Amino acid sequence: MASGHEHHGEAGSHALAAHHGPRTLPSILSATTLVSAWRTRALLIAAVTAALSLPFLFVDGGRGHILRAYLLGFMTCFGFSGGGLVLLMLQYVSGGKWGLLLRRPLEAMSRSLALVFVMWIPIAIFMKHLYQWAAFPTNDAARDGYAKGLITHEQELTMIAKRAMFSPSAFILQSLAVFIILGLFVYLLNKWSLERDADPARGTERSYEYWRTKFENLSGPGIFIYVVLLTDAAIMWIMSLDVTWYSSIWGLQFLVGQGFAVFALSILTVIKLSKVEPMNTLLRKTEQHDLGKLAFAFVMLNIYLSFAEFLIIWSGNVPDEIPWYLNRIHGGWWTICSLDFICHWLIPFCLLLSRNLKRDKGRLALLACFMIFARCVDMFWLIEPNFKDAAGNLRLIGNWGILAYIPVPLCVLSLWAAYYLTELNKRPLVNVNDPHLEEMLEAEHAH
Amino acid sequence: MPPREGIYGLLAEFNTPTDLVFATEQARQAGYRRMECYTPYPVEEAAEALHFHSTRVPLVCLLGGLMGVTTAFLMETWMSVWAYPLNIAGRPLFSWPAFIIPAYEWTILFAGLSAAFGMIALNGLPQLYHPVFNAPNFRNGATTDKFFLCLEATDPKFSLTETRGFLEQFPAVSVVEVDH
Repeated sequence: MASGHEHHGEAGSHALAAHHGPRTLPSILSATTLVSAWRTRALLIAAVTAALSLPFLFVDGGRGHILRAYLLGFMTCFGFSGGGLVLLMLQYVSGGKWGLLLRRPLEAMSRSLALVFVMWIPIAIFMKHLYQWAAFPTNDAARDGYAKGLITHEQELTMIAKRAMFSPSAFILQSLAVFIILGLFVYLLNKWSLERDADPARGTERSYEYWRTKFENLSGPGIFIYVVLLTDAAIMWIMSLDVTWYSSIWGLQFLVGQGFAVFALSILTVIKLSKVEPMNTLLRKTEQHDLGKLAFAFVMLNIYLSFAEFLIIWSGNVPDEIPWYLNRIHGGWWTICSLDFICHWLIPFCLLLSRNLKRDKGRLALLACFMIFARCVDMFWLIEPNFKDAAGNLRLIGNWGILAYIPVPLCVLSLWAAYYLTELNKRPLVNVNDPHLEEMLEAEHAH
Repeated sequence: MPPREGIYGLLAEFNTPTDLVFATEQARQAGYRRMECYTPYPVEEAAEALHFHSTRVPLVCLLGGLMGVTTAFLMETWMSVWAYPLNIAGRPLFSWPAFIIPAYEWTILFAGLSAAFGMIALNGLPQLYHPVFNAPNFRNGATTDKFFLCLEATDPKFSLTETRGFLEQFPAVSVVEVDH
């Protein structure tokens, strides 16, 4: 019962084109006013929290805690900056529309490495107040310290055995190497990205192919180099706070933690930017959903590594390793340990399971903020119990200095945020010479 | 139950997914609700035009996962604490960290199986008979290169003449009656 219809619904096809056809790229590709307003807010928070941090200078034990809290803030900022760099390289190698969407925010994060380097200087200056191996900087000093009963025999021996890596000069050399090599990658990737947009042959297949290959060839080895450098940095800056302890998964754990934090921050950035053009057009539900799924993968990988580390050490039950966990569970620390588990895994995991939440801008942005907070809780749990006065002994009464962990990291993070937003404002929010842009401008399928 | 008789619905055949989606959108606007699109490959716009939002597969998957984790954890507890209490390196019998990995594996296994079988069950499969296969053009085209929209007779708005007229305004290749 065929009925030929010659009039191929004129009006019909037009209505369909309006509904499903491509959208146009907005003419202005930056959201300067909005980002500047956020930056002002970040600087205000930094000023207020800096003022709130000052009284701790005069609290008993407050100075030590300010320094430790500062280390927490520094490491979280390094996580954003280095994590931004590695995800930038990852998206060049993997391709995908999510990568193009996040490229400029990730570039801005990577450029903040300059600020993170400046933030590192106080740590290098005050290192002997943080690291035991720096307080006893030579082997003789370590032997002397043991003789005077200032450190244990185990601490003395491991300190001497690990001296090649943990001495003030080695610390400075390694840190400088990390910053210089990463800085080189940051410089090249950011420079090329602008050149890519300014390419006279832009929009052609040849230009796409040229830049894709160029970025891939730098990013592939770059990811490997980053992982090696990050492992070194994480061991040096955080793990060596307890000179006797070691874990071979440490670097990887930080890598995944950085992925966790950077995805949270990127999601937050693009969702908040989508209030105005151009992100309003560029951020589709599809890509937002993808970002949510990627963040979910990092949530899962993060607990996987953390738990694997715990399970292996728990199974081994070796006196060399187990005190590290005992110090972080006993004496009230189980509260922070549980809070870490709940904030870092349980809540993001359960919420990100939901498809609707991943597609909802407001709720996903809220969760992203919470995930950044969870990173800080985790870092607190990793850092504070390394110190003799806090190991297996979490207390507030008579230890008011510990409250420095609230304003100091906030201050450091808001300063970093102000810098990040400044960098974000320096470039258009999208890399236009990329074939994915066209796909991102297509109308999406399911609403 | 005696076999159902009479008309199942009207089946319109289209050459392109665009035509199908347009007709589906119009049908929905015209007030039809009991309808279905049949395409040789997934056409997301068609699902959207049908206002086919969410399924219960995620819920089934979640329940399966919870069942898996509970079963595994309880089983391990029962085995280690009551059935075969063994002293392993002086650890407590209820050594929960060691139970996590198998419980996790069971979560994935149960969630995966329930998602797969739940999807099949919610699709109403296995289904040995479906009326649309009574249409010869459906048998030939539905899995290769044709796109079908079926407006079903159970829809209150369905009327053999009016619905046919409605479907024939689109560039359909054919509009055929499908019997039960």
